[in-house]
Amino acid sequence: MKTLNHHETISLILSLGILLIVARLVGEFFRKFKMPLVVGELVAGICLGPSLLGQYFPQVSNLVLNKESNSAIAFNGITSISVIMLLFVAGMEVDLSIIRQQGKTALKTSFLGLIIPLGLGFLVAYYQFPLFGENYNSHTQLILFSLFFGTAMAVSALPIIARTLMDLGLFRTKVGMIIIAAAMFDDIIGWLLFSVILGMMKPDTGAHGFIYTLGLTILYSVAMLTAGRIIINKSLPWAQKNFSWPGGFLSISLGLAFLGAAFTEFIGIHAIFGAFIVGIAFGDSVHLTEKTREIVNQFVTNIFAPLFFVSIGFKVNFIANFDFQVTALVLIIAVICKLLGAGLGALWGGLTKKESLAVGFGMNARGAMEIILALLALQAGLINQKLFVAIVIMAVVTSVMAGPALQLLVKRQLDQDKEDLDKEQEEMFV
Amino acid sequence: MSAETKELIFKKIGIAIAFSPRLEAIIAEASKMQKGFVSNLFFIHVGKQSAEDEKTLNELFDKYNLTNSQLIWREGEPVETILQICEDEQFDLLVAGALEKESLIKYFMGSVARKLSRRVKCSMLMLTEPMIESNPLKRIVVEGSDNPKTVNTIAKAIEIAKAFDVKYVDVIQETDLSKAALIRSDEFKENEMAHHKEQLISEENKKLEYILSCNDCGGLKVNVERIEGKPGYVITKYARENEADLLVLNSPDRKLNLIDRVFPTDIEFALADLPCNLLLVNEDGV
Repeated sequence: MKTLNHHETISLILSLGILLIVARLVGEFFRKFKMPLVVGELVAGICLGPSLLGQYFPQVSNLVLNKESNSAIAFNGITSISVIMLLFVAGMEVDLSIIRQQGKTALKTSFLGLIIPLGLGFLVAYYQFPLFGENYNSHTQLILFSLFFGTAMAVSALPIIARTLMDLGLFRTKVGMIIIAAAMFDDIIGWLLFSVILGMMKPDTGAHGFIYTLGLTILYSVAMLTAGRIIINKSLPWAQKNFSWPGGFLSISLGLAFLGAAFTEFIGIHAIFGAFIVGIAFGDSVHLTEKTREIVNQFVTNIFAPLFFVSIGFKVNFIANFDFQVTALVLIIAVICKLLGAGLGALWGGLTKKESLAVGFGMNARGAMEIILALLALQAGLINQKLFVAIVIMAVVTSVMAGPALQLLVKRQLDQDKEDLDKEQEEMFV
Repeated sequence: MSAETKELIFKKIGIAIAFSPRLEAIIAEASKMQKGFVSNLFFIHVGKQSAEDEKTLNELFDKYNLTNSQLIWREGEPVETILQICEDEQFDLLVAGALEKESLIKYFMGSVARKLSRRVKCSMLMLTEPMIESNPLKRIVVEGSDNPKTVNTIAKAIEIAKAFDVKYVDVIQETDLSKAALIRSDEFKENEMAHHKEQLISEENKKLEYILSCNDCGGLKVNVERIEGKPGYVITKYARENEADLLVLNSPDRKLNLIDRVFPTDIEFALADLPCNLLLVNEDGV
């Protein structure tokens, strides 16, 4: 077994320590301005990586993370595992019963919220790909890029949306639950599509690759979400009784997430999808308590997520690859697609114009999920670095604008409704 | 309790019967209901009419003083026929016997009682263990979820409790805080998260207090419990663990289908394994 030498081992441990601490410090700083932690983590990576520190003090940047050494390979391994775990946690966040309960309004919202961004994104990318600095010789490559771009426009960031809704006191309202349910549904389809696209990127995928990959993806999803989910649900009480808890849950759930990831990677779909679906199967169990859920969440999001997001800054030079035209274009398309799609869907589902616009802005937040999607596309050679930087900026801007927009559109109305209800209840008690 | 008050609960009750070993027990239960609710009873049987079966029924009606009740005897597909009768007769309540647990295949395909519960427009009572002898109700467990239907469901549970001198009524608030875990846990400082959770819970408590204040509970002891977990599952578990005699839930907000059995929501958790008799209260039907 190959091992790191003494110097490389120290280098790896040093990188992990510095990156975790700096990511937390910058993340906390950004949080003071009501921004998600992920923004701070990204900025930390940009500051320490080739964009800033590497540009002016390359030796110091290399001390933090030397991209040429074996320790960087080990670090990359850790970030690859981090993505799988992040997708597992994202899967656990999906609550299938919410999607069912919210009924037609949520389904209509998610349907148009998915189809319109996907369709518009696909068309813009297909016909205007040179605008994004892309150049394709093969038609298949262009189709895959266009499909990716459409998918990137359709994905939303559930954690950011949930946080924004909770901060505004809209979490349990009709509008809030519709946004959550629709975003969950769009995420499932979005990740499914993206995994198929990544599967198609593999060199050994033949002419029948699309149908084959899609078929296997659907088969795996159905099997895991029916039989797999039932088996997991039935096994959890036994495991709870016989294993130390919640430590046992951590080992078993993450172990199964890795097995699911390995299986999907083996059959030609990207590993992340396997972990995502295993996450949904675990998250749906009635035996999963809030405490256990939170422990898994804490473990992944406080250690692995910061490492992953801070590492992005080391992969790309954000300053050299910042292109105002591409960034503005991506941002405008993303906002229009989601507002139009989710907004029209909500309107179709019976919400008022104002509520529909609020749903559109709520679902417009892209956050961490979009960044993961973009990084995987970059690593697969599907997009260039300029487009990657543009997508990351779009993800941050859409996440930050969701709160103020919702505040403006529905919060005031809801506060008024709440005041009226309180008054009515006070009178009743008197 | 005055007759006027009793009449408010379920005026017209349809009872689905089959010539099974539990027939007499179902009729005995119907008789107890008739006394408790002062209702008009309509016995429904879907199947071929025969003199022998008719004789059996008449003997049982005589035995339980139900000679004033009506018998609707039709041929056809049981579920569709019963649903049609319920609609034609505008029943307030439909009663049917049901097994606590069906085999997996039968559960997914749907037994008559379960199919009815998923589609009927009036309230429905599923009797898991109908008894011939007197078996007083001791504990009613009722849903206290944040749903517009809950006001009526709790009101019905309290009326039933008063009509049958029930000792305990447990109102269960199911708080699904798993949705709060949607947020990256590190996005919140410790007290911030606790504050948000407290806010969610206090909003629910306030609504429930409001609902209970609307009901005249009299001397009845109403116990309110808040349990964290999946709605539908936790109340079913509570009812089983506390040996409830009757579980009262809101009727489903929409027609349930096979997907709801594959990905269970609310009442499907109860239907999958009935912990006791189950009453689904439908606002429109009462």
